[in-house]
Amino acid sequence: MTTPIQAQTPVSTPPVPHGVGNPAGTPVVAPTRTKDKDGGASGGLGTFGVKSGLAQMLKGGVIMDVVNPEQARIAEEAGACAVMALERVPADIRAEGGVARMSDPSMIKQIVDAVTIPVMAKVRIGHFVEAQILQAIGIDYIDESEVLTPADEEHHINKHAFKVPFVCGARNLGEALRRISEGAAFIRTKGEAGTGNVVEAVRHQRSVMSEIRKASVMSEEELYTYAKEIQAPFHLLKETARLKRLPVVNFAAGGIATPADAALMMQLGCDGVFVGSGIFHSENPAKRARAIVQAVTHFNNPKILAEISEDLGPAMVGLTIDDNLKGGRLAGRGW
Amino acid sequence: MPQATSPSQDVTIGILGTQNRSLSAKRNWTYPASQPIALQGAFAEHQVMLQKLSLKKRVVIVLIRQPEDLDKCDALIIPGGESTTIALLARLAGLLEPIREFLKTKPVWGTCAGAILLAQWVENAKKGGQELLGGISVTVERNGFGSQVESFEAPLEVEGLRESNRPFHGIFIRAPVVVNLKPSPTDPPIQIISRISASLLPASQTVIPPDEDDTDPRDPRTIVALRQGLHLLTTFHPELTKDDRFHEYFVRECVLPTLGSRSSSPA
Repeated sequence: MTTPIQAQTPVSTPPVPHGVGNPAGTPVVAPTRTKDKDGGASGGLGTFGVKSGLAQMLKGGVIMDVVNPEQARIAEEAGACAVMALERVPADIRAEGGVARMSDPSMIKQIVDAVTIPVMAKVRIGHFVEAQILQAIGIDYIDESEVLTPADEEHHINKHAFKVPFVCGARNLGEALRRISEGAAFIRTKGEAGTGNVVEAVRHQRSVMSEIRKASVMSEEELYTYAKEIQAPFHLLKETARLKRLPVVNFAAGGIATPADAALMMQLGCDGVFVGSGIFHSENPAKRARAIVQAVTHFNNPKILAEISEDLGPAMVGLTIDDNLKGGRLAGRGW
Repeated sequence: MPQATSPSQDVTIGILGTQNRSLSAKRNWTYPASQPIALQGAFAEHQVMLQKLSLKKRVVIVLIRQPEDLDKCDALIIPGGESTTIALLARLAGLLEPIREFLKTKPVWGTCAGAILLAQWVENAKKGGQELLGGISVTVERNGFGSQVESFEAPLEVEGLRESNRPFHGIFIRAPVVVNLKPSPTDPPIQIISRISASLLPASQTVIPPDEDDTDPRDPRTIVALRQGLHLLTTFHPELTKDDRFHEYFVRECVLPTLGSRSSSPA
């Protein structure tokens, strides 16, 4: 990692997103410790290693939005690697409008009790008190999400200050790296939640990948300029260019409704997918959920994809994404 | 370095996984090498660690997608991930029974979720129970330390590791806890190779008196790495560090001895 001059084509890219273990020096992804936050007696709690490590364990999996313990059980039985507990799935937030907030902690706790897989929950962008509440009830991951109504139009949460890890949305490389520098241990491309239309998810994933490819052949001088251009911290951009991937796990989200959508996102280079409204707004959630789980595992085997795509019943009704989109574009939230 | 490329010079290690992008080097540019996908979970990291090892034998890595792939393997690693998801995908791929057969004769190492699958019994399983592979006569409790907020890192002393005076960095993520050891008289003995300090155990749990079969008087829940017969179980994630000593240990202690008998007799 000490060849500054030439942007050579790196030999073999380490698949380990950085910041994990990390004895080779360079605390690249901010190594803030939060051990004294709750007077933790054991020092190694809530390190970036364990935060990003959990995301590593989710790779190749599907994270499903659920609104009650029954749905959470269906998701677990279908092979979800985690569930996202929320009061309304994005499609309903769109339809009903109003301010969308963190869910009732008692409802989240019921879901935690119902399943053994990790449970995530959403907080509004910038609403660090909602995050403190979720940490206090022992949630496994927090999504600082544009799907909820933002609470702060300038600042995101300082995620280093928490023991619980955060996932954040991003539309491009600059946004992803800004979130990582704030302490996000996991990135999802935003897509357009609640539409059942995968077009934005594809746009965002392609944009992240193409910017990484661009950065990976740049010289150090060019990287300085590029960092300024995309408003990303230089050290994270440099690390991304070296790894040829984001330094944390990257899932796709926002509009995935079919097994083929999920496999598409996997083939475009993400590590796993979030499926929000797509499962429980379809006719046969259990079957569709399992099919999407299998699609993520067998994403480049069209034969298996064909088999699992059969007889799933109608998918959720999709929306075209234009200026008349009900509920507006959510992806533009976040700065 | 191996002079001849006879098959006996190689040791083939399987990692449970149905998909793999990183080995198809041609596509590395479009799809970065960094994203091979297992059945589900973190198997790419194991692959990288094994590739780094410098051994007399060449390590060949096979990703297990279907039952036939197991035939080529001298050993198997079950990676971390979600044990319920891995078990479901393994069942759908028809791998559960072939792996149970494999366990009878060949070494298997399970890390974290893999450790849960290797255990004979599990507590705090998902509602309605979950499928295990078995193989090691222990009971583990899933998420025994609590939720992600309780995940931690700690230095470990590991018996038999290369440079064992240097602690191994243990990363525990929603880790399982070994709650008791129950080897039946016919099973090979269980050898405990690493423990954490009892102060790291979750405060909410009260100390359970050690099982009668446990010759060690200490709390079994402090056990984080153990061996039984050919198999190795770790409740933490050596693959998330950059320290390859645990992978070297598995190959040296568990895998190579089983090859000795195979390759030396015909030679």
